[in-house]
Amino acid sequence: MIAKRIRIIALLAISLVFLLAWAFPILWSVLNSLKTDPDVLAYPPKLVFAPTLEAYRDVLFGSASILPNLVSSLVISVGTTVVTMLMAVPAAYALARLNFRGRKSAGFYVLATQMLPPVGIIIPYFLVLRNIGWIDTYQGIILIYLSFSLPFAIWLLVSYFEDIPFEMEEAAYLDGASRLRTLWRIIIPQVRGGIAVTVVFVFLNAWNEFLFAVVLSGNTVRPVTVAMFNFVSVEQTLWAKLAAVSVLAMLPVVVLGVVAQKHIVKGLTVGAVKGGGRR
Amino acid sequence: MAAAATPTADTAAIAPSDFGRVLAQRERRFAAALLAPAFIALMATTTFPLMFLVWTSAFRMDLAMPFTNGFVGLENYRVLLIDERFWSSLLVSLIYTASTVVLQVILGLALALLVMDMKRGQCWFRLIAILPVVLSPAVVGMIWRTFMLAPEFGIVDFLAINAGLGSKNWLGDPLLAMISVIIIHTWQWTPFAFMVLLASLASLPEDIYEAARLDRATAWQRFRRITLPLLRPAIVMVVIMRTMVALTAFAAIFTVTGGGPGTATEILNLYAYRKSFTELSIGYGAALAVALLILTIIISGILFAMRRAK
Repeated sequence: MIAKRIRIIALLAISLVFLLAWAFPILWSVLNSLKTDPDVLAYPPKLVFAPTLEAYRDVLFGSASILPNLVSSLVISVGTTVVTMLMAVPAAYALARLNFRGRKSAGFYVLATQMLPPVGIIIPYFLVLRNIGWIDTYQGIILIYLSFSLPFAIWLLVSYFEDIPFEMEEAAYLDGASRLRTLWRIIIPQVRGGIAVTVVFVFLNAWNEFLFAVVLSGNTVRPVTVAMFNFVSVEQTLWAKLAAVSVLAMLPVVVLGVVAQKHIVKGLTVGAVKGGGRR
Repeated sequence: MAAAATPTADTAAIAPSDFGRVLAQRERRFAAALLAPAFIALMATTTFPLMFLVWTSAFRMDLAMPFTNGFVGLENYRVLLIDERFWSSLLVSLIYTASTVVLQVILGLALALLVMDMKRGQCWFRLIAILPVVLSPAVVGMIWRTFMLAPEFGIVDFLAINAGLGSKNWLGDPLLAMISVIIIHTWQWTPFAFMVLLASLASLPEDIYEAARLDRATAWQRFRRITLPLLRPAIVMVVIMRTMVALTAFAAIFTVTGGGPGTATEILNLYAYRKSFTELSIGYGAALAVALLILTIIISGILFAMRRAK
């Protein structure tokens, strides 16, 4: 009996340690963003301090404001999401629902494109975009983001399209509705949930991207993940401000992640059931 | 299938024997129209760059010294084979990938087993586990580099001092820097393995365990003989996915150490980036990227063969 109780307490302690280990770095950034620089640098680290929103005011409205960068991130993420969904929904429907020769190979092609290492895409793309003057432009970044968002969105959507019953479609055809009309009026409304989940994940991946952004961004288009570097330099680190920027960069994805909580495993493992996949 | 749809006004005029063929043709055209935009975009953003990459790797293309540029054939690959920095980055890649994947699977599985038996508090784990995986690796790297690993006031260093280890230069010492980037990656992605394995555990049939209990199998036997074999597909899937990501990890190393100190944490992916965009030697960088692609294909080939086996 005592042995069992000790076991339970030990397991509880282990789980608490893990919970803390995962939550802590995020929590600590939030706390540091509410401190002044001397408080951040205090030794031993301060858990109790007078909270201030000064760091947020500085990074949002100060001289080195990151508001333009947040706007950049938003435009890139929304743009990528819209373009991706416009292309992925019809493609996923065709792959999931229509009968045509080469359907399997088409699906495999979509999966195989994910095998290409991002660094292998960015080197040639950098050369091309430099030639046509698209470095530091939204269209350049959004175009290259399609390389990872499209395969992901197509495969996630295929899994939702496969779930709906055929009967509704057949009934629509019997009524003489055209294919396009059936797709738009009957099928799309049934996968609304799946589309919403896909939108969340495409947005999230675009918001978080870093390698393409760091190569293609400049003074006009610089997402917040890249702009963070303004706050750490060889000479000095602006601690509280960096914490505030980190929190601002984390906020949208954490909110989306918690909202889409139930679908996260599916979103993270999409494609893997059938083949490769990466994120 | 949808092909069985009833004729619309204009198809009704066609002889019944041709009817199926016409419908199939229509379906094909409709499918082609729906697929075209996505496939054109995919070809433009993946297949075309791949071909251009291989082509570029046959050139000397130095943005800093454009006058030396020109076709060199396989010269870049010849240099690559005797490039010590290439071999060392390959080794770093393999160590980084193997250790992070193994750690993620072991910790994720242990935690999933632990949480599985919990009656209360499961929801906390599910909630907290989401946080790291939705974050940008760039932000995660930045947070660890500063608030966790900075000397003295960084929490890890603070704990090390209090544990009597003394203040360490976590990102300045080659070995510690490597350990740090491995821990950061493991921190961020263990929740992924945990969530997938927990979902898989929850779907295992209850009655096998009842039977095993009746046969007086020990907890270890139950784990070894029932749980592990049943979880195998999920574990293999996690290994495959995480290996692919770890091989091309970029942001979480770039933001933390930039590949340093020296080249201590420079994985092949990062070397290709540095060569192309820091040293501006794009042709050689392209050859490195092709080498990374070949490595990815070989490793995924091995993993998929493992998946098919048994």
